[in-house]
Amino acid sequence: MIMREKRRYILFEVISEGEVDKHGLQNAIWDSIYSLYGDTGASESRLWLINYDSGTGIGVLRCAHRTVEKVRAALACIHSVDGARTAIRVVRVSGTLKGVRGVRARVKAGALKG
Amino acid sequence: MPSFFLFNVRLQSGMSADEMLRAARRFGYAGICIYNEDEAIMPSPDIKLNLDPSIHTGIEIRTDSVPELKRKLRRYWSRVPLIVVHGGEEKMNMAAVKDYRVDVLTHPCGEKWERGELKHQILMLKYAARNGIAIEFDLNPVIKSRGSERARILRRLRENLKLIRKYHVMPLLTTNTRSIYDLRAPREMIALASLCGMEREEAIMALSEIPAGILTRRWKRGREVEQL
Repeated sequence: MIMREKRRYILFEVISEGEVDKHGLQNAIWDSIYSLYGDTGASESRLWLINYDSGTGIGVLRCAHRTVEKVRAALACIHSVDGARTAIRVVRVSGTLKGVRGVRARVKAGALKG
Repeated sequence: MPSFFLFNVRLQSGMSADEMLRAARRFGYAGICIYNEDEAIMPSPDIKLNLDPSIHTGIEIRTDSVPELKRKLRRYWSRVPLIVVHGGEEKMNMAAVKDYRVDVLTHPCGEKWERGELKHQILMLKYAARNGIAIEFDLNPVIKSRGSERARILRRLRENLKLIRKYHVMPLLTTNTRSIYDLRAPREMIALASLCGMEREEAIMALSEIPAGILTRRWKRGREVEQL
């Protein structure tokens, strides 16, 4: 029996009218996932905000690997944080933190921006 | 991955088409299609020439009367690359899909899917399939609503999707984009579409092949030859 479930790390970028702080973002993500999938669905997702830089709007979320699509839908349903219009773009999904780290640096440097 | 296109983009004052295209590209779209309200000034030929080839423009006709719709279709046909009709009432939906000049029917059940399901409009769906008219699936109400309202919207989308599959009508996924904060990346759109029962392949088609086909008039060519 496999005791340790696989995880996925989601690198995301927040695009907002104003600056979004970590606490507000965390609440918005949890509200969205509770609203869409209920308590059991939210608990299955094993969601955790690993880090978030409010200056650049870039952060990393961890979730169970089976629920990546659910988390994507929940992130897409976030339209405002603390009254400021917001969109969240998933940049990369990886199985390791190391996998998102390199991409994160490139997003910060603007290399992945259109 | 295929090239994704975003339809139903409207520019708010202060935002240029190029800025919107840049934002859409950042989200993973290859091109956008901007709808202009029919009474608003159409982009002049000079502006059109300066537009990036990934920016497509169309006209959205909003009216409550069928004769008015016919008059506007005559007026805009062959003058604008894309004609979109804002539906809602059954008579307007029917009049729009009966006319081969229309490319897309938007909001066939109202802007928040409040006018029920398409099960009472089977004939309309058959005409849409025959005339190659896509029906827009606006996911914006799914994003903006919460609780029982969203449950009602998802149920209606699910029912409508069954009918769309049965009658082979082309769905088009959009988010009623007014600003960059309404943009959602293609993979997020696919995840949102899965909430109402849309398969991954169907959602990819509704974001890539169907919009590309509408822009190149793939389903209209035969009809034009037939007309001649």
